[in-house]
Amino acid sequence: MIRLSGLHKSFGPLQVLKGVDVTLEEGKVLVIIGPSGSGKTTLLRCFNLLEVPDKGGISLGGISLSFDGKRLPQKDVLALRKKTGMVFQSYNLFPNMTALGNVMEGQVTVQKLSKEEARKRALKLLVKVGLADKADSYPHQLSGGQQQRVAIARAMATEPELLLFDEPTSALDPELVGEVLKVIRELASEGMTMVIVTHEMKFAADVADTLIMMDGGVITEQGTPDQVLNHSSNPRTLQFLNRFVDDDRT
Amino acid sequence: MDDRKIQIVIDSLLPLLKAGVAFTIPLTLVSFALGLLLAVATALVRLSSWKVPVLIARFYVWIIRGTPLLVQLFIIFYGLPSVGITLEPFTAAVIGFTLSVGAYGSEIVRAAILSIHKGQWEAAYSVGMTRIQALRRIILPQAARVSVPPLTNSFISLVKDTSLAATITYVEMFRTAQQIAAVTYEPLLVYSEAAVFYLVFCTVLTVLQDYLEKRLSRYSAG
Repeated sequence: MIRLSGLHKSFGPLQVLKGVDVTLEEGKVLVIIGPSGSGKTTLLRCFNLLEVPDKGGISLGGISLSFDGKRLPQKDVLALRKKTGMVFQSYNLFPNMTALGNVMEGQVTVQKLSKEEARKRALKLLVKVGLADKADSYPHQLSGGQQQRVAIARAMATEPELLLFDEPTSALDPELVGEVLKVIRELASEGMTMVIVTHEMKFAADVADTLIMMDGGVITEQGTPDQVLNHSSNPRTLQFLNRFVDDDRT
Repeated sequence: MDDRKIQIVIDSLLPLLKAGVAFTIPLTLVSFALGLLLAVATALVRLSSWKVPVLIARFYVWIIRGTPLLVQLFIIFYGLPSVGITLEPFTAAVIGFTLSVGAYGSEIVRAAILSIHKGQWEAAYSVGMTRIQALRRIILPQAARVSVPPLTNSFISLVKDTSLAATITYVEMFRTAQQIAAVTYEPLLVYSEAAVFYLVFCTVLTVLQDYLEKRLSRYSAG
């Protein structure tokens, strides 16, 4: 069980998270939706401590941390990060390494695996995301969709217990979105535990076990996709979802 | 040009080239290599959160950039003996030039590190790297590429600045030219000849820069 409890986070005077509780069972997919500025990306970044909460607690993969505004010991931060992998909106592949090098990097540098072992595992992952033929390409030689699939392989390479996705298709050309969502769907069906921030409502409805709607730094609604998307009575949720109905028409 | 002048030019070719290869180039290479290490170390300290070392690094850069290199060389070579530290001309020159390259270079390296997108740090952290691992594997290799043109600038400046070592009795290429000019009474001729040698050395470096930039840019578009 992955549990975040009572998370608070401020950037200067701006309160971004105002007491957020999340629980997620292993093998399940949690999707976070909400308007921009609602705190959903900050919440996601708390899972691997790219943002360290001011208050609250995280328990994940046998590690329990609580936050009180003091600096965390580096070893706690690293321990938690080793349990998670992250896929970024703008891919953030390492431009000085090939696709294969990107996927091998964490295994070699962090896990201290031998190069041969890492290469074997990296190639397997590239096959999985459909890019075995691009192993020797540098990121700038790949399309956005291909880069993001390499990024997914890189995130999985260190065998994390939890994968985090920060709007993984927002930077992509529309015709490339499908190939990335397909890979994420496959991972979901294989029982990978994931937290996904996305604006793709149809995808969210398909892939989520639990859907969370955030607004103003708090969770305003939580439930199955059907409950949140089709049977909500919360006016903010309805207003937010309405925008996507409008989008579809245009 | 009469025969005598042509003869002087020809006669001084070899001594100048020898002084250049045996003294100017080694002084440049050693000072630049050490200076580069000092520059990277200083830049990393400046970017750290250790309060006292940051202050020391800033103080060092402030002093070196704010005083003339010639004055620094004089202090090291002529000044230090009065507190009991007597240095060989070569050693004194290397110390002076290393400190200079380290100070100016640290700002280049610092700017190059800061120019790398924050997403690269986050990606490195997300796979579990420490700050040192992220620097070594991800950030510095990318920053190196950004620093090649400005660091080549420093290198070229250094080649020419080594002529200042002549003033602290180090017989490099310029000092050799002075000696030849003194006996031949042809300063225009001999100093111009020395200038051509400096030009050739710097041109070689420019070609090297192009090569290095091409090599390091193989992984980036454009």
